[in-house]
Amino acid sequence: MRSAKEKRPAGQKQYYRRKKVCKFCVERIDSINYKDVKLLSQFVPERAKIMPRRISGVCSPHQRLLNDAIKKARNIALLPFTTE
Amino acid sequence: MRNYEIMFIVNPNATEEEIDKINAQIESIITSGGGKIEKIEKMGKRRLAYEVDKQREGYYVLFAIVANGDIIKECERRLRVMDAVIKYITVRTDEEVRRLEKIRSYRQKRAARRGSGAGTKPGPSAEEAMQ
Repeated sequence: MRSAKEKRPAGQKQYYRRKKVCKFCVERIDSINYKDVKLLSQFVPERAKIMPRRISGVCSPHQRLLNDAIKKARNIALLPFTTE
Repeated sequence: MRNYEIMFIVNPNATEEEIDKINAQIESIITSGGGKIEKIEKMGKRRLAYEVDKQREGYYVLFAIVANGDIIKECERRLRVMDAVIKYITVRTDEEVRRLEKIRSYRQKRAARRGSGAGTKPGPSAEEAMQ
């Protein structure tokens, strides 16, 4: 999939953007549960912020469910609000 | 009556008996109010993601119940009062369960249609492209 080093005419910027796909759609993950820390932590980078859709590529219905789940998990100290 | 999950964190210094006592109390509130307990799960000690009541660890307990608002209210009041319980959360689950069932039945229907129908292209690629 990584053909980033394709030859292009000089002067043109070399951009290769991989097509982003929603992890939940592709892997058919239906339930996004607040107890599933392993799954949720993939979408919470170091600063403990929720990863934006433009980076993770998650589709909007799933991002909504993911947001809810992460916020619930934060409430019960399964995930951090911030890093100290 | 609705499905709920009550999850709470007990102080890690509490003994096993104390935890059992708390569980029994919550259980009695639910059953005496006419609710039903589907599952009690002691998830054990876990590191907390942030400090709660000067604790970095906690003993997680999960209740899956069928109850109404009054029972939940009483449970939450009792959990608030208990010193050993440092945090709790109540989550309604029936909507989520219904949503999952809907997805499942939809998938089954689709699979059946593809199986009985033309069935010339049983590859998953076509379906994935549609999503």
